[in-house]
Parts: sequence; C-alpha cells; structure tokens
Amino acid sequence: MKKNLYIYVLCTAVFCITTTSCDKIEVTEQLTPLTPANIDADAGTWKMAFMTAPDQVAVPAPTPVGSDAYKAELTAVKDAQSKLTKSQRDAIEYWSGGGVLRWNQFFRDLVSRYNLPPAPKADGSYPAPDAENPFGDPAFPFANPPYAARAYGYVSASLYDALKAAWHFKYLYNRPSAYNADSGVEALVPKTDLPGYPSEDAVMSGVSAEMLKFLFPAAVEDITLKAAEQRNAALWSGKATSSDIAAGLALGKSVAALFVARGRTDGMGAAGGNKTLWDGLKQNAESRGDEAWVSLETPPRPPMLPVFGKVTPWQMTPDQIVAIRPPAPPIRGSAEMDAEVQEVKYYADNLTRERLAIVHKWADGAGTYSPPGHWNDIAAEYVRDANFSEVRAARAFALLNMAEQNAAIACWDTKYFYFNARPCQLDPSIKTGTGVPNFPAYVSGHSTFSAAAAGVLSYLFPDGEAYFKDQATEASMSRMYGAIHYRKDCEAGVQLGYKVSDIMINNFAKVDGAD
Amino acid sequence: MCMVGLLTLISFNSSAQTTTDGLMMGKNLFCTGFMYTNDKWTDYWEGELKRENGNIGSITTQSLAYYGVYGITGKLNVIAMLPYVKTEASQGTLHSMEGVQDLTLAVKYNFLRLESEKLTFRAFGVLSFSTPLTDYTPDFLPLALGAHTTNLTPRINAMVKMNQGWFVNGSAGYTFRSNTELDRPSYYDGSNFYNSSEVDMPNVFDLFVSAGYQKESLQVELNYIQQNTLGGADIRRQDMPFVSNKMNAQRVGLLAMYYLPKPKNLAVRGSVHYTVNGRNVGQATTYLAGILYTFKFGKSE
Repeated sequence: MKKNLYIYVLCTAVFCITTTSCDKIEVTEQLTPLTPANIDADAGTWKMAFMTAPDQVAVPAPTPVGSDAYKAELTAVKDAQSKLTKSQRDAIEYWSGGGVLRWNQFFRDLVSRYNLPPAPKADGSYPAPDAENPFGDPAFPFANPPYAARAYGYVSASLYDALKAAWHFKYLYNRPSAYNADSGVEALVPKTDLPGYPSEDAVMSGVSAEMLKFLFPAAVEDITLKAAEQRNAALWSGKATSSDIAAGLALGKSVAALFVARGRTDGMGAAGGNKTLWDGLKQNAESRGDEAWVSLETPPRPPMLPVFGKVTPWQMTPDQIVAIRPPAPPIRGSAEMDAEVQEVKYYADNLTRERLAIVHKWADGAGTYSPPGHWNDIAAEYVRDANFSEVRAARAFALLNMAEQNAAIACWDTKYFYFNARPCQLDPSIKTGTGVPNFPAYVSGHSTFSAAAAGVLSYLFPDGEAYFKDQATEASMSRMYGAIHYRKDCEAGVQLGYKVSDIMINNFAKVDGAD
Repeated sequence: MCMVGLLTLISFNSSAQTTTDGLMMGKNLFCTGFMYTNDKWTDYWEGELKRENGNIGSITTQSLAYYGVYGITGKLNVIAMLPYVKTEASQGTLHSMEGVQDLTLAVKYNFLRLESEKLTFRAFGVLSFSTPLTDYTPDFLPLALGAHTTNLTPRINAMVKMNQGWFVNGSAGYTFRSNTELDRPSYYDGSNFYNSSEVDMPNVFDLFVSAGYQKESLQVELNYIQQNTLGGADIRRQDMPFVSNKMNAQRVGLLAMYYLPKPKNLAVRGSVHYTVNGRNVGQATTYLAGILYTFKFGKSE
C-alpha cells in the first residue's frame, strides 16, 4: 500500500514537470492570415521616404492576361498547387501572416544574433568588426543600439518605398492576381482585389534580402533562404505567377540598390572615430570643467560609435539634429550633480525585486534585439491587430524606425558632445542591476529611443497612446533603477525622443498622403 | 558560469547523509543543522575556451543552508534542505544578489540489502524534489541565485562496505527541470531567438562516485562528481552566460564528518571540492563547514 503511494507521488510529480518542460516555446510569432481592412489602392501616390518618385525604378509592362505566355504561367501555378507538400503548405501559412511583419520579426532575430561586442585581444586592444570580413573574429556587424537603429531604419524605409512603387505599377498595369485571373487557381490565402503585377511578396523579398545582406552580410544563407521561401509561397498560394514574381524581385532589388548607395555614404563608415578624435572628446569635456567619460570595462574599450551623431538622418537635416541637442548636464562636483549621484546611489543600494524586473524587462543589452527592436516588438502587435495592408504595415514600421534611427543620431550627438561620466565612474560604490553601456551617460539612449517610438506609435495608434507613453516612461526610469543613468539623463532623453518623433510626424507622417 | 545553479542540483553530496550516499538514519532519529558553503572561481569556461574576465573578477557564492534528515524507518528517510544564498563579483559594476533559494525535499528508500561475513551491499532509490521559495531572477548570471526551476530527480545509489569500514559508493541521477521565466519578453538562447519570456531548460544527468572509510563516529571520503546538461547552447565568445546554457562540470572532493565525543550526538562536517573540468561554468573551489545534531524521537532501532 505504502509502495503504491510512493509510485503515485512519483508519477504525478514526473508528469507535472515533464508536461511543463515539454510545452514547446514557439520560435515564431503566431499570426493569422492577413485580411487587410483596406488594400490602400492609392498607396502609389503616397510620398516617398527616399526615392524621388514611385517610378524612379522602371517596371516593364506585363504580358496581357489573354496571352499564351501568361496562360502557361497560370498552368504552372495550378501544377504546383496540385502537388503541394506539407512544408510548402507550412511556408504558405507562415507568410500569409504578412510579409512586412515576418521580415520585421526576422530582422529583430538578426540583430539579437549579431549584438555581441568583440572580445579583447591578448594585448588588451579590441579588434573592430570589418564589413569586408564579416565571418571573421569579430563577426561583422556588432549590432549595438545605434547600428541596430540604423539597420531597422534602412530596412523599414526601403520596404516602404519599394511597396509604394509596387502599388504604383500594380494599378498602372492592373493585371490581376493569379487566383483572380483564373478560377482554376486556388486561393490558399485570403483573396483581395489587389492587382498581381508586380508581386508585392517578391518586392518585399528582393528589397529586404538585399538590405539585410548589406547590413548583416554573414547571415547571407538565412536571408536568401527566407527571401526565396517568400517568393515561392506567393506562387504556391495562388497569388502570383512567375512573371509577377520576376518583376517584383527586380523592382525590390533595384530599390534596395538606391538605399544601399545612401547607406554607403551616410557617415556610418566613419562613426567609430579614431584615437585622436577620442582624445579630443575628453579635452572637450574637461574644458567645460567636467570629468570626462572613461570606459568602465576591463580592458578599457574604445567608446561606442562616437561619430554616429553625424550619420544622415531621415526626414530631417543634420542641422535640426544639432538644434534639438539638449542643454549641458550638470558637471561633476556641482551641487546639482552631487544630488543626481546621491539619487542613483539610493537606487543601487535599494534594488528591490520589482525594480530589478523593470531593469531587466528593458535592459535590451548584448545578445538582444536592442531598444529599437523592443519597440518593433511592441509595434508588431498593434500592426497585426490593425489588419493593415502590407504597404500600410510597411509605413508604420518605416515611420517608427526612421524615427528610431534619428533618435540614435540625436542621442549619440548629445552623448559625445558632452562626453560625461556614468554614475559608477563618479562613485565606484554604485553597483548596477545590468551592464554599464560603454558610452557616455547624457542623455539616456533608452529614454530617447522609447519616447521617439512612443510618439510615433501614439500617432499611428491613438488608442494605445497612454500605454505607449507609460511604457516609455518605465523604460526610461529602468535605467536609473538599474543605477546606470542619472535622472537628468532619463528626463532629457525622453524630451529629446519626443522632439524626434514630433519632427517625423510633422515633416513626414502628416504629409505623406496616407492619412 | 552558474555554479550556483549547478550546486543546487547536487548540493546534497556535501551534506550529512545525503541523497547520493549509502548511509541511512535509524528509525526516529532526526539529524539537523546548518551548513555554510563558500564557492569561488576566477577562471571559467566560455564554451570550451577557458578564460578570465576583468569585468567580474572572481565570483564568490556563499550559502547558509538549513538541513534535516529524519528516519521514518531504518530503510526510509526523508531529507529537507533550504539555503540562503549570496553572490558577489570582486570586480566590475554588477550588483550582488542574495536571498532564500530553493527548498529541496527528498525521500530515500533502501530497497536492497545483501550481507556476507565481510561485506554489505546496499542499494537505494531516491526521489528529490526542489522548488524556488522566492522569486529571485534566473536572468542575471553569473550572479543569479539559481535557475529558478522546479526540479525532480529520480536517483539510484549503491554502496559496498567492508565490515572494517572501507566503502565505495556510486550514485546516478536524472533531473527533470521545469521551464524558467525571465523578466523580458524575448531572448536569444545562443541558437534561436524567442518571442517569449519562457525558457525551455534542458535536463541534467549527474554521476557521483566516492570511496572512503566510515565507522562509528568518523567518515572520510574522496569523491568525484560529474554533471552534464543534456542540451543548451555554449556561451558565445564574449557573451554573457544564459540560464539554459550547457553547463557541465567534473569535480573532485574530500569530505570528512566526525561525531564529537562530547557533547554526544553533535557532529561536524567539512569538505572541499575543486572543478577539474567544465563547460560554461566557473572553475570553482568550494569549501563547506557544517554542524549537525541528532535527536532521538521515541524508540530508535
């Protein structure tokens, strides 16, 4: 009897633990097939983010619906549909959730994978990631927050322009989707009246893959496989024929080439600076009477991308970046700064579990998708629930991520203009709830990113405004709770972030013709 | 890196009458006391690369554990343990962590006993259950107090003992670990990116072998402990450790326990362990000192 009881207890316990640990944790976000509330037929007339016009890249006229060549393409679609495998059906289902959302998720994944600082060499120096040797040690890139912000900015802006160009040609030529051209073609995704030529899925695959290969060259295999799968899914699902796809791919790649050309000359290449420049930053800070920032890493690491503030912003000028630079922070030894340090010290010495959870929720440090990625994660749920067309979804991420890149530029401009010390540099007894970032304190990057994102998302999704702004405040304060930022850094960062989002909204979102 | 996490799984082999040994408390005897542990490492294995890291210096983990074992019968014992843990880095800025960690409850059953004139052979089945009693974070390695998982470990022990007191003992356990929960909405585990705060934790296999002398008031032994995490990724170059990393360790140790002549029933226990090889863990040296008192309830056997 006793033995039976033990066996019972054992089995129950084994069952409980194995069932919880066997619950599969999903790698991909769960999306239902996209059924846009509005297909945004006029998107070809919306203002471009960077291209000069929707037809800056030419797309030749398609073969007519009645032509033999097109009929042969439709037959090929039907043939492919007649023998779909399980993995092909899975691919259709995966991409039916929305190409823009899927690519957004994929590049958050890439950022987290490449967000790893180089290891020091034996002599204590740090090698710089080299775009010409992306598979080396260190890998290229180190997708730190500014790099990530720029990556999100470029991919999202190029996707948006490419889709507007696609919409322009879709309605210029008006050739229907395969499933609307031939009743024998099965629609394995929700049907819409969006014309099929050029295929929007192929446009997305082309532009995203080319941009990502530029930004994350060592991930070429994953990128190209993903892109090819999206094109295949477009055909298998009955949306697109081979000429829809070929034209879309060509358009997407050509649009990417325009953005890559911009990326090669936007100042990123020089953002790392050099020894002379780093010494100059120190002298600047000291000439203001402040204590200059030093790296708290062992061995000391050069400051992260000190010239990133000079990278070309989106929808605003470099002069505007300088114009919104916050006023100087209090200097070391001033009564105001002493009080700031005291407050951080309080949070360091009183790191409650509740505050630590907030610190870690927003830490978004090495090995994560970074703060801009976190806001893309937040935005993705709203975009999904809004049932946007692909082009409107692309607009949401473009507005968000152009603002995030601008936030990174404005924040980095400020950080290196003042080059001030972190709290635990001024008071080494301050211990932190997360790693101390390897760049100056003022203003807080998280605060700037979060407010810029909350500002743009509040414009796009007014119902979420209170939530977004509340989250931005929490993200900002998390840096003080973690004892890596002064309150001043957080508050000035939030103000700067909202200035960045206001500019994006007023200069672009309100005038692009989409609202 | 997470020697703390590892220690929770196997801490019993440093305790008096443990889940891994071949010893039992007699009926109605209750042995209870406190154990202090000091575990320190400077070098660690980042994957298979052994290195040190100036951003953390040395990591010291101290714990004070309550411990108790009760003989329901001479063949069936129950064991309980609860540590308070504190971790600290000697360099860098990272904040120390401290708090009550995981409660372990175990039942140990002596299901086989063979005796000859010179030898005794005993075999045991042990079932350990452990669960966190506080909401400490698992996501702050190497300073997290543990993995914050609920564990179940079925285990088999066997011991051969000569009448003069010499013995050899072996134990093998398999630990099922529940998922653990992070404070953040996504993570990269070294292989995949997840849009989830929940982390699938690989299970753990451990092996324990000891040889020594135990008679009357003295127990002395040399032991070897191996732990293999059955899954999980390596720490990437220059990355932080992650809770589901593949944490493997091989340790050797020396243990002694002695019942003082006076006062009666009071025992002291000490041990030292050293990590000879590992993967994604620190090369730790661990000292333990404990004091235990045995009470008698009713009639003992």
